[in-house]
Amino acid sequence: MSRFLAVLALPILALMAHDLVRRPTVRRLALRNVARRKGEAVLVVAGSMLGTAIITASFIVGDTLGSSIRDFARTELGPIDEIARVDDPERFPALQQALGEPIPGVDGTLPALVARASVVKPGPSPRAEPGASLIEMDFDAARRFGDDPPTTGLADAGATPGPGEAVVGEALAEELGVGPGDTVDAFAYRSRRTLRVRAVLPELGLAGFEKPAAFVAPGTVAALVEGSAAPDTAPPDAMVLVSNDGGVYGGTATSPAVRQELERRTRGIAGVEVQTVKRDLLDDADSNAKEFTELFGGIGAFSVIAGILLLVNIFVMLADERKSELGMLRAVGLKRNQLVRAFGLEGGVYGVLACLVGAVAGIGVGRVVVVVAENVFNAGEDERFHITLRFTAEATSLLGGMVIGGVIALLTVWATSLRISRLNVIRAIRDIPEPLLSRPRRRGLVLGAAGMLAGGFLAVTGISGRSWFGALAGPPLAALSAVPLLRRLLPGRLVVSAACIFSLVWGIACFDLLEEVFEGSDIPTFVVQGVILVAAAVTLGAANADAIGRVLTRFAGSGRSLAARLAFAYPMARRFRTSMLLGMYALVIFVLTFLAVFTELFNAQAPRFTEETRAGYDLVVDSNPANPVTAEVLEAQPEVSAAAPLLRAFPEFSFEAHPTPDNWELSAFDERLLARGVPALGDRQARFGRDVDAWRAVLADPQLVVVSDFFLEEGGGPPSARLHPGDPVTIHNPSTGEQRQLTVAAITSSDWLLNGAMVGAPFARQFLGAEAVPTRHYAAVERGVDPEEAASALTGRLVENGVKADSIAELIRGGLSQQEGFLRLMQGYLALGLLVGIAGLGVVMVRAVRERRQQIGMLRAIGFPSRLVRSAFLLEAGFVAVQGIVIGIVLALVTSYQLLANSDTFGEQQLDFNVPWVPLAVLLAAALAASMAATAAPASQASRIRPAVALRIAE
Amino acid sequence: MRRRTAARGAAETATTEAPAGGDGSGGPAAPILVARQVTKIYRTATHEVPALRAVDLTIGRGELLAVMGPSGSGKTTLLNCLSGLDEIDSGSVTIDGADLGAMSDARRTAHRARHMGFIFQSFNLIPVLSAVENVELPLLLTGAKPGVARSRAEAMLERVGLGERQSHRPNELSGGEQQRVAIARALVAEPAIVWADEPTGNLDSQMAATVVDLLQEVNRAGQTIVVVTHDPGIAGRARRLVRMQDGRIVADGTALDLVGRDSHS
Repeated sequence: MSRFLAVLALPILALMAHDLVRRPTVRRLALRNVARRKGEAVLVVAGSMLGTAIITASFIVGDTLGSSIRDFARTELGPIDEIARVDDPERFPALQQALGEPIPGVDGTLPALVARASVVKPGPSPRAEPGASLIEMDFDAARRFGDDPPTTGLADAGATPGPGEAVVGEALAEELGVGPGDTVDAFAYRSRRTLRVRAVLPELGLAGFEKPAAFVAPGTVAALVEGSAAPDTAPPDAMVLVSNDGGVYGGTATSPAVRQELERRTRGIAGVEVQTVKRDLLDDADSNAKEFTELFGGIGAFSVIAGILLLVNIFVMLADERKSELGMLRAVGLKRNQLVRAFGLEGGVYGVLACLVGAVAGIGVGRVVVVVAENVFNAGEDERFHITLRFTAEATSLLGGMVIGGVIALLTVWATSLRISRLNVIRAIRDIPEPLLSRPRRRGLVLGAAGMLAGGFLAVTGISGRSWFGALAGPPLAALSAVPLLRRLLPGRLVVSAACIFSLVWGIACFDLLEEVFEGSDIPTFVVQGVILVAAAVTLGAANADAIGRVLTRFAGSGRSLAARLAFAYPMARRFRTSMLLGMYALVIFVLTFLAVFTELFNAQAPRFTEETRAGYDLVVDSNPANPVTAEVLEAQPEVSAAAPLLRAFPEFSFEAHPTPDNWELSAFDERLLARGVPALGDRQARFGRDVDAWRAVLADPQLVVVSDFFLEEGGGPPSARLHPGDPVTIHNPSTGEQRQLTVAAITSSDWLLNGAMVGAPFARQFLGAEAVPTRHYAAVERGVDPEEAASALTGRLVENGVKADSIAELIRGGLSQQEGFLRLMQGYLALGLLVGIAGLGVVMVRAVRERRQQIGMLRAIGFPSRLVRSAFLLEAGFVAVQGIVIGIVLALVTSYQLLANSDTFGEQQLDFNVPWVPLAVLLAAALAASMAATAAPASQASRIRPAVALRIAE
Repeated sequence: MRRRTAARGAAETATTEAPAGGDGSGGPAAPILVARQVTKIYRTATHEVPALRAVDLTIGRGELLAVMGPSGSGKTTLLNCLSGLDEIDSGSVTIDGADLGAMSDARRTAHRARHMGFIFQSFNLIPVLSAVENVELPLLLTGAKPGVARSRAEAMLERVGLGERQSHRPNELSGGEQQRVAIARALVAEPAIVWADEPTGNLDSQMAATVVDLLQEVNRAGQTIVVVTHDPGIAGRARRLVRMQDGRIVADGTALDLVGRDSHS
């Protein structure tokens, strides 16, 4: 995009360069006007740079997330590009043999055996890591693996651990608080091994693989397995690690070819699955980076639009202020295009300065967002979402932010300059306002007709082709474009008001009317909706400003309210600039309010979500797949009254809109899950009268499945392709290559515990065999027992099973708080847009003081006290700010209410609408206070104007 | 060295007291304004420009006084200083017994609101307010009730011939109409003194005549008016004319004498 914009900007930049060098008049006019009022130039640059800062920060957030994930390739994989696993260790020798010969594009293979274990540091205060890995690997072979020993992380690790020894990875060492010489106990397959820590390895390459991990002597895993005849345990992972030519990052290009070759060579061995782990990881990094850039860029778009409105406003004010000068310049022979170029060059100077400063400011903003985002990610209970972010600002991102911000500024400035240059010389010289047109000009009629056609086309193609943009923007565009034509037949105010009201109603109601079109709407939809609603509301207000003014003046009629009278009169009379200001405020407040509504709303739902999720149980208990706790053991615990096991696996799924199979969690349940209640369903096939009927049918029928409304979705935002009851889904067993078609029986209303797809246990055992292991249980606590205390007791007591028990209510609260943190981060990010609005108001008021200097002088002359002048300015700013805030808040409340009440934008979750009074009051107060603060200086300046000087009557 | 004019020579002996009553009786009028040794100096970083040099002036109640002089002679500065719009460096200005120099800015502002009206060359109407709203401003400032202020403003607009244009905004009025609104605004609160700085400077001759007729009419009704002007035609219609040069009053007499002397010299 930045390349496209750069191409767009090139002609403008070339023209600017030409004028700077070859057009002394244009150059002089532009540069001297920039230098004329340095303070204001600084304000203009400050206001304009925020757009660039926001865009740059969005890129930097993406860079950081992308590079942080990409760094896992270095710290957790090192030379590993692919992994070939076999589901039965018995066939491990065959796998090694199949991959023993040189493979084209591959510079090494390395056999490894991995078992899941619970590792405990014994002592008076034992510390445990229930989800550790024990890895058997030949260290000498590992160092040769990939032909670059430092990248393996084992360069200085010494010999392969001997019997009873463990070389521990940094993550596990930190978790247990152990160092060389300490002993730890490893539990797996109902056996225990005591190990002495020989060394701790930094997290790098193979030393970070399968973390938290401990490298153990060959035969250790086999010895643990030998002692167990336990069913329902996951066998050790027998695997061959493969390193492609090209080093840590350079080998992924050949991954598909290598994968094909590995699959060809292992075709004769049952249960082999080949994964292109590094390529998948880097793809994930890129898609996550893109998603985050889009997310922050999308939210930031509101602020950028506010910045554009500010620029337009500043230039229109500049032109108003210099109207007589401009008229005189035209009169003495300055051509229109020279006027455009002088203005364009002046704006270009502001724009270029702003984008340079903005890119630097963007680094700061990005840094703050990264720090807050890291805290948000790591605040949740679920460690799978924890991440260490490495702040990264790519040069291309800085350049991209600068180019986009700069081009937006340049285009805005030049477009505004074109508009400004169309002045009537006589009216400009005599400073007479442009007359109001009683009938639209021919150009307006032509543009209106074109707009109607375009709007109609967009609407028809959007609605019929299920394209959200056309369906959302087409009808309002057609309605507003019809104004010039209809004004020939009907009163202007009536026509404009009707078009605006239609646009408002459409912008809110279309989501309900055209549910299928807007299914899966994302942030860009919301941006367009916000712009349509705010533009319609502001235009409606501008069209009826005189009526509003009459009402307000009635309230401000007394002598004491003279300040209020003036404060209302100016914004009402200067409709264009007031509309720009209102637009800036309303747009940003609209989104802030929207986010506030949803932050509040999700938090208030915690008890209900818990009730809908828990199926009558209180705890979710996860345990080590190599040594899972059983329901019987759990029920024997004093805190537990009942337990229901879930078989867990990680097969692949696909469906029509998601044809490429992807791994997704699967949980298989038996009768015990349904014994105390059932998880609530958001939607189910019509043949099931109650939720429990659907669950029983799934248990009994191996062809039925329950999925969540985020099934096979990655990242945030609304689902891109949603399943409905009755839709087919295919499940794949990667080990056997077998696949089975299932039918969606129901959709869960929420999947807070990340159970994934839910099927009956008999089907899971039959289809997935030993891969489905009962590593999860729902447990109910005895009456009077606190679930959190029970969870803590079970985790401590059942450490050999690697038990990690959590209160369901607490997990949901944690998830919600993470969600809230993220929404607050978004709000904070968007608050930058509010800064644009506030800075804009400040700039406008500074200019207003200058523009009204003589009027202020006159008022002071006839007896206006200086405090009244100050009050008038403050009230005026407050009036504009309050209007913008109120428009934004009201539109957001109506829209969010409509979304919650009538559409399924938020999936199957039934959310109750609540007005977040306190956050809204804080938002209103903060925005108002900041607006007042921004106006305080110009207001004070106005009040200090000496009448004699202002009237220019001093000789 | 510049040639000393006959008028300047005369000024060195001229009296600056009110020469005659505003009522046309020819007797001494009660002074409404007394200025003594008023000095005003404009200062820049590098030099000082004396704009008024120890000016003495007394204005009688009900007078129509014209101030004339070449550009840069200090006419407007005199108006600013006597009306309290600008600070003076030394001397004193007393209006109706109140010393402007002893007042704070706030009190001086309040004093202006109650006792003075202003008319300027560029009208200086508030563009976002209608004609009647502009006119009622001084009344509202002095605490009049909105209804009373509105009816008095409407009556004043009728008086200046703009009864039909009350709800129009300034940009919908001609220059002459705008100046009449400005006059209505200056007069509506019945101030003790009205200051007019080049009130016809932006008007064509016909409009200018209308405005001057209006000023004369209100003066005949007893309103004190001080007009700064370049136009001998307007000055000639004042009873008293003060001529300024280089920050000093160089002549003070009846307009007929001074304007006549100019036209004969």
